[in-house]
Amino acid sequence: MILRKPISRRALLRGLGGAAVALPFLDAMRPRLARAQGAQPPKRFIVWYTPNGTVPANFWPTGGERDWQLSPILQPLERHKADINIVGGVDLISSLSGPGDAHQKGTGQCLTAWPLQEGTFPGDAGLSAGWADGISIDQKVAENIAGDTRFRSLEFGVHVDGSDVKSRIIYKGPGRPIPPENDPAAMYRRVFGDVGADDDAGKQRLETRRQLVLDSVLGQYRSLHQKLGREDRLKLDAHMASIGTLQERLGKDTVRFEGECQPLNIGGALDPMRSSSIPMIGRLQMDLIAMAFACDLTRVASLQWTRSTSEVVFNWLGDDIREGHHPLAHKGDEDRVKVAQNTRINQWYAAEFAYLIDALKAIPEGDGTVFDNTVILWTNEQAKGNNHDRMDMPYVLAGSAGGHFETGRYVTRDGRVPHNHLMVSLLHAFDIDEDVFGDPQFGSGPLTGL
Amino acid sequence: MHPHSCTHACSRAAPAPLARAPLAVALCAFALSAALIGCDAEEPPVEPPPSEPIAESCTGEIEPGPSPLRRLTRIEYDNTVFQLLGDNSRPGRAFPPDEEAGGFDNQAAALSVSPVLAENYQSAAESLAATYAARQVERLDGCAAPVDRETCAASARAFVQTFGLRAFRRPLSAAEVTLHTGLFAQGVALGEGDYDPQAGLSLIIEAMLQSPHFLYRVEFGRNPDAAPGEVVELSSYEMASRMSYLFWNTMPDQVLLDAAAADSLRGAEQIGEQARRLAVAPRAREAVRNFHRQWLGFDEIEHIASAGKSPAVYPDYDEHLLPLLQEEAEAFVEHVIFDGEGTMQALFTAPYSMMNAELAGFYGVSGPAGEAFEPVELDSARYAGFMTQAGLLAHHAKPDGSSPIHRGLFVRERLLCQIPPPPPDVVPEAPLVDDTLTTRQQYAQHKEDPLCAGCHVLIDEIGFGFEQFDGLGRFRETQNGQAIDATGSFHSTVDIDGPFEGVVDMAHRMADSTQVRDCVVKQWFRFGHGRAETEADACTLDTLSLDFEASGRDIKSLLVALTQTDAFRYRRVVAPGGE
Repeated sequence: MILRKPISRRALLRGLGGAAVALPFLDAMRPRLARAQGAQPPKRFIVWYTPNGTVPANFWPTGGERDWQLSPILQPLERHKADINIVGGVDLISSLSGPGDAHQKGTGQCLTAWPLQEGTFPGDAGLSAGWADGISIDQKVAENIAGDTRFRSLEFGVHVDGSDVKSRIIYKGPGRPIPPENDPAAMYRRVFGDVGADDDAGKQRLETRRQLVLDSVLGQYRSLHQKLGREDRLKLDAHMASIGTLQERLGKDTVRFEGECQPLNIGGALDPMRSSSIPMIGRLQMDLIAMAFACDLTRVASLQWTRSTSEVVFNWLGDDIREGHHPLAHKGDEDRVKVAQNTRINQWYAAEFAYLIDALKAIPEGDGTVFDNTVILWTNEQAKGNNHDRMDMPYVLAGSAGGHFETGRYVTRDGRVPHNHLMVSLLHAFDIDEDVFGDPQFGSGPLTGL
Repeated sequence: MHPHSCTHACSRAAPAPLARAPLAVALCAFALSAALIGCDAEEPPVEPPPSEPIAESCTGEIEPGPSPLRRLTRIEYDNTVFQLLGDNSRPGRAFPPDEEAGGFDNQAAALSVSPVLAENYQSAAESLAATYAARQVERLDGCAAPVDRETCAASARAFVQTFGLRAFRRPLSAAEVTLHTGLFAQGVALGEGDYDPQAGLSLIIEAMLQSPHFLYRVEFGRNPDAAPGEVVELSSYEMASRMSYLFWNTMPDQVLLDAAAADSLRGAEQIGEQARRLAVAPRAREAVRNFHRQWLGFDEIEHIASAGKSPAVYPDYDEHLLPLLQEEAEAFVEHVIFDGEGTMQALFTAPYSMMNAELAGFYGVSGPAGEAFEPVELDSARYAGFMTQAGLLAHHAKPDGSSPIHRGLFVRERLLCQIPPPPPDVVPEAPLVDDTLTTRQQYAQHKEDPLCAGCHVLIDEIGFGFEQFDGLGRFRETQNGQAIDATGSFHSTVDIDGPFEGVVDMAHRMADSTQVRDCVVKQWFRFGHGRAETEADACTLDTLSLDFEASGRDIKSLLVALTQTDAFRYRRVVAPGGE
């Protein structure tokens, strides 16, 4: 697969694989972002996940809160230094409890802050771990800020293989993982190509049909639900809630291209499960996030890079890298060659993170840009890859969420600080007036000093 | 390895994965955590198979265990819409992957319906309905031009009943018939003109394809008035679905539906008779492939392409071989079970495989001339069943070498049904490894550490047995100019502890092992019932093992035996909202 240069978001729509994609309602466009510009612009949230820990020695900055120097891994963020916070001293305490192995617990808990359920995922001397036992922070935020956007949230993935607890970070609720979409073309079709009908009358008929069917179907789920035992009810609860999101979408605007909301040339087909495609797929997914924000189709997105224990070989960073990410991440501190390679992997992730910030800064909104009203959380499921340490997690927060966070700082603290507090801080950033997130046994209130 | 770091790790012992842990970490950490639970002692470290005699596990009481609500998997969805609508577009391939637990994609507890999946159900239903309604409307009396509304409505009602019976895999209730004929009446106004029967028909189908009674296998048992806690027999329709999804991964065929209509899927004999028919039908082949694809990870062979193999080490690697290697593995299983010996022993030890010309060239053996896969005799001193097939061995390997750890773990977890204790939450760092040694010599470094040695023998002493197969899965006699030593040994097994000489010897021991036999039974149980076994299933499992043994470990007989168990024939009534 030949890597292509990233494509301009503003490039003309050619469609997928060269075929034209019909666009709905081009003649009925009305301003989307402009609509918001009179009022307060909407806030937006992005979760950015990379696995297998980092190289702490090469990750943490030096210096004080306002007088700090970027580390080797964070160097690619130089141009955004004033717009990010490096958050140290926060621990994944919840992941020391409950069933599951270190990777399972870290993955299921990094965004939920709940111990895992009992279940039948193998990994702990038997079939022991289940899904995470609570809603993830992005979904909680989405419930509150989605407004009348077409999608409450969009889950993007890059080479996320597997479909068990080590491959899922986003949860709609306890035991309800949301899978990411690895294929930009499929995501594009889903978000921007939901045509269904090519005129308003046709659209109206389609919506009526969907309403009738969903109502009828939901009635069947409800009456079946009443007859079932607890476990089966939980399954149907999730299903009914998912049907609910389809109902919510009825009557909402589909995409209208104008202003900053412009079609994206997604290029030819790429195999999303080919590791050599990762750089290109990642860029496309980030372009799609930026585009979805520009079109105000969603306000919450997540981008999950691979998965916990991923064995992707990052050989596009150099032929010398021949081992998968997970085995590399486990090399001892004294193995300088391999630690340097792992550092380059994490540095590359930081460079891609910088690209996402660039993409959001390129979209004007009000007096500033979309980035000004966004906060991006970079999380991992481990802190230190070679020993599964989950203390002092390598958190980066980019953006101020509309001025909520003062940026340009390296904030850290001592002692055991459950990451539940960081999650509460994020709730507050979105004006969600709650002081507990995740399992309450890990404390309440926001992170001090952020 | 630093003893200090190991001690530290031990003091914080808690679970972590071994399955994909890198070599040294896994070795040492496994030793550590296993040592904590008595790994160095005689005790097996992990779940021993049931040791109670049958007489004790079977009390005479019927004990079905849990019967969770099962959602169709993507494969089942595709198979079902093929049979129901004649649609072979396989829309399920675009769905998000089914959540997977214990290696299988059909485990009720793990499966969930996310908003994206609900969206996929909706769009698949819309497109399937549009195609099918266009065809069907012509066949409905009064619905094709010239339209007679009254006749058409009656036809639609009949359609709801006949199509509904197949979609829900049981007759519809009066209320359900009313509901769907009502949808038809509303739907006709939402198409072309003011009365469009095709649009009405389409609405019926869209709704049915998103109904819980289509997407799930809903069961209440034969007696709806039974009290919570009571054990009830399944209704004949419920049994028809259980059987068809077990043997064929799809909806019941007309024979099963007719048998259900006659209420003649009751009792072990009637069920067994149908089971024997299903087990030998052509459609069973794909389901049996599906089981092995998941159990033995044949579907993971294509994942090798993600990272590929190091061109410097394996210049012969060509990713176009991967589908061939997967086909070899699946065709072999199919051949053994349906056209060959039929037994578990043959799966492990048969001195042949299925190849086409290109694959035979890859292996360096003489084989068929064309693209079709045919049995190819192999040297029985080198090759044994699926155990020596290149796809499996190349998958359980590294891009630039073999991997005794991955191969040993595969055997331990999938074939012996023992999930090893994981490395602790905080593992020691991996030591430096000398890449110029043979793989086995690299491992020897860790073996010297007494802390690690206690347990690493459990995994890589098995993995060493595969050392005559390189990272591409091809036979070799030397590595780095040195002769390969493929001796290995089993430890902490129920009945096959001791040394062996290479993979062929190992495979033969496993083929005769009761632990491996019971593991095969357990894997089929999990796949067949969509759940992990529980204590309540002891009698079911022991009975299955006995029957399997009595049949000479014949796989098709095991499938039939699965339908004879308490877990298959009965369910326990659960109170609404209860456990």
